[in-house]
Amino acid sequence: MNRLSDFYRLGAALTDYEIVQLEGTGVGEEYYDVLTSLVSGNILDELFDDYNNLDKTCSGHVPDEQIRSSILANPKLGPVARNIIKLWYLSIWYQLPENWRQKYGIPNQTKNKYQDVQFIVSRNAYIQGLVWQATGSHPMGAKQPGYGTWSAAPGNQPHPVNFQ
Amino acid sequence: MSTCEQFDVVIVGAGISGAIMAQQLGAKGKKVLILEAGTGTEDRFWNSESEHEGEKVKHPGYESYMDTFFTALAKIPNAPFPNNPNAPQPLVTDLAPIRDNQPLTDGYFVQKGPLPFSSTYTRSEGGTTLHWLGTCLRMLPEDFDINTRFGQGLDWPIDYDELQKWYEMAEKNIGVSANADEQNYHQINNSSVHIPFENQYNYPMEKIPQSYLDHHMEEGLRGMTVSFDDQDYPVDVVSTPQARNGMPRGDYRPVGAVGNPDVGQRCAGNSNCVPICPIQAKYNALKTLEQARKTGNVEIRNQCVVYDIEVDPATNNISRLLYKQYQHSGSPDHVCKTVTGKIVVLAAHAVENAKLLLASGIANSSDQVGRNLMDHPTMLTWGLMPDKIGAFRGPGSTSGIPSLRGGAFRKNRAAFRIEIGNWGWSWPEGAPINTVPDLIDQKNMFGKQLKDTIQSIYPRMFRFGFLVEQLPDSNNRVTIDPDYRDQLGNYRPVINYNVTDYTRAGMAAAKQVSDQIFQRLGVEGYTEYHPSDPGYLTYQGKGYTYNGAGHLVGTHIMGSDSKTSVVNKEQRSWDHPNLYLVGCGNMPTISTSNPTLTMAALTYWAADNVLKALDQA
Repeated sequence: MNRLSDFYRLGAALTDYEIVQLEGTGVGEEYYDVLTSLVSGNILDELFDDYNNLDKTCSGHVPDEQIRSSILANPKLGPVARNIIKLWYLSIWYQLPENWRQKYGIPNQTKNKYQDVQFIVSRNAYIQGLVWQATGSHPMGAKQPGYGTWSAAPGNQPHPVNFQ
Repeated sequence: MSTCEQFDVVIVGAGISGAIMAQQLGAKGKKVLILEAGTGTEDRFWNSESEHEGEKVKHPGYESYMDTFFTALAKIPNAPFPNNPNAPQPLVTDLAPIRDNQPLTDGYFVQKGPLPFSSTYTRSEGGTTLHWLGTCLRMLPEDFDINTRFGQGLDWPIDYDELQKWYEMAEKNIGVSANADEQNYHQINNSSVHIPFENQYNYPMEKIPQSYLDHHMEEGLRGMTVSFDDQDYPVDVVSTPQARNGMPRGDYRPVGAVGNPDVGQRCAGNSNCVPICPIQAKYNALKTLEQARKTGNVEIRNQCVVYDIEVDPATNNISRLLYKQYQHSGSPDHVCKTVTGKIVVLAAHAVENAKLLLASGIANSSDQVGRNLMDHPTMLTWGLMPDKIGAFRGPGSTSGIPSLRGGAFRKNRAAFRIEIGNWGWSWPEGAPINTVPDLIDQKNMFGKQLKDTIQSIYPRMFRFGFLVEQLPDSNNRVTIDPDYRDQLGNYRPVINYNVTDYTRAGMAAAKQVSDQIFQRLGVEGYTEYHPSDPGYLTYQGKGYTYNGAGHLVGTHIMGSDSKTSVVNKEQRSWDHPNLYLVGCGNMPTISTSNPTLTMAALTYWAADNVLKALDQA
């Protein structure tokens, strides 16, 4: 199994963005790298397998209730799934809950590039957070839409006025 | 003394006032040295490297601030600018309520209260203009004599008419976008706020386009009035003059980024003026420093912290400045040096100027140094508009409601200006970054529900900022204490601060105006003030919260009497003939305008006074 493509499939279900949109951010592999550094492989296997099984039994249309009961309400998988949503939306890794860490945390992270503390994944990742487009805006400080675009009604295609 | 370097003028501080002073003097052939306590990026936009004795040396450019900004978790005003223990700076994240008279000592400021002083500034080359919003309002004529008119605060030793030509100079050199026929406020049915402009005068650039929210607000509030003391006042939305590049008038050419002048010639809508404009379409003092450097007469020395100023007892002139020069912000290692200037200008910022004067024991025969510290306690109100207004787009604010800045009510309570915020709930709630986790963790949203919620709610978010006037109060002050020092052994500012009933009454009136506007526009209100907010206070049984505006004013006020003021109208120390103080510290009152434009105007005037003094000598 290609776990990276599983990561995109699950991400698409958790965020309601198309896989191609997630791939288009260009930072999915970076998120996957963070996730696999901070959550043990067998938990991720379980998470991805659970979703793939749901997907198979529901022929590609997994009802929300199934994702809630099997994944989000699962004490082991739920916190990881919520962190995946936050990665895609905000490009921030949040420290996993204390009780989760005691039970499932990777004990020694000192050799790893990432630590299970709150951090912004990277400069580029911050710019790719899904929250900015969901808000109908752009990442504050990047992807500048052009002079005067803020005067237009929201949701309309911006027309930079200085190059008309 | 023979080893002491000599200049015509030595300036302490490479922020906007130091930059203006240096540029004006350098252009007239005077030899100028600027000593800046913080680190800097000089003329570099991009990061670069060089080799020195076989080792690679990094030279961070302006772009390094963007790296720091993007990866900082708390996107506070000082987020892009590196933590420098040799020139520490106050941070919003240092703030907490002050309980049981226990001072807050964890940050750079030692806060003795009873309320915390909430504003911050930046100790780097370019100063706080690196993270300012760029609002460039003039003061009202009535602001210059509120003691005579209203029996409150202090009168200035100058009036609006004297400052007018310096306002024009500041607006041109900083590069302000606005339309004079709106900014004179003559369209507002409240003559107290009318500002006379010179005939034919206009700003160098056309006004920045107003946001969709501004237009929505303007239509919704048309004809609205509010009543204070049985008198009706209009509630009018007006575009705000901004130090932000727009469409030039005539032969004016906008100034782009330092080290990359092709970018930043127009605002491109990065929606990030505070804490940092990525392209420098918003003015910062690096631009004026660059112009100063190009005169060939100005040297800017970063990482040099002035800690003592000596006086020649025979003449009372400043004889020399003592400073500590460090190599790296990570190490306290430094060398001590001295320098002299025929004239010395302190442009280090209101708090730092006061601190340095107190540490040196000079310029304080009036006992006013450090006193009368003011800010605009800024009260926020926020809510959801009935329809999407396109939040999180454009400059932080493109319009305000200035029609309540002046009037007879100032006899009884503080005036205020209303700022219309374009960035949703980013200030009051940290949206979207700090609010989306709650939707996921507590509201248990994911998938379509989460996306739909963000798409439908966030574009409706908006907030007001009420910048409330604060009067000079000798108990609101900066002092020093040998027990509190930074890693170089220099003093940390110790601050006593409170907000009087005059200002609290202004906050209460502001909240009433906000409520009426929300009722009129059908805004779903979400404003909450909590006793756990650092700036929480009460007035007549109701709670309000103020935030810092970053407008630090009044620590070495100007006046017409040497017994009650620190500088005279020329901005020269009453005590030392060759010492000038510049910056917002000179302002005897704060009124309702963001102070930078007035401070810049005053500094152009001060530069003219320094030139005359040098030429007479």
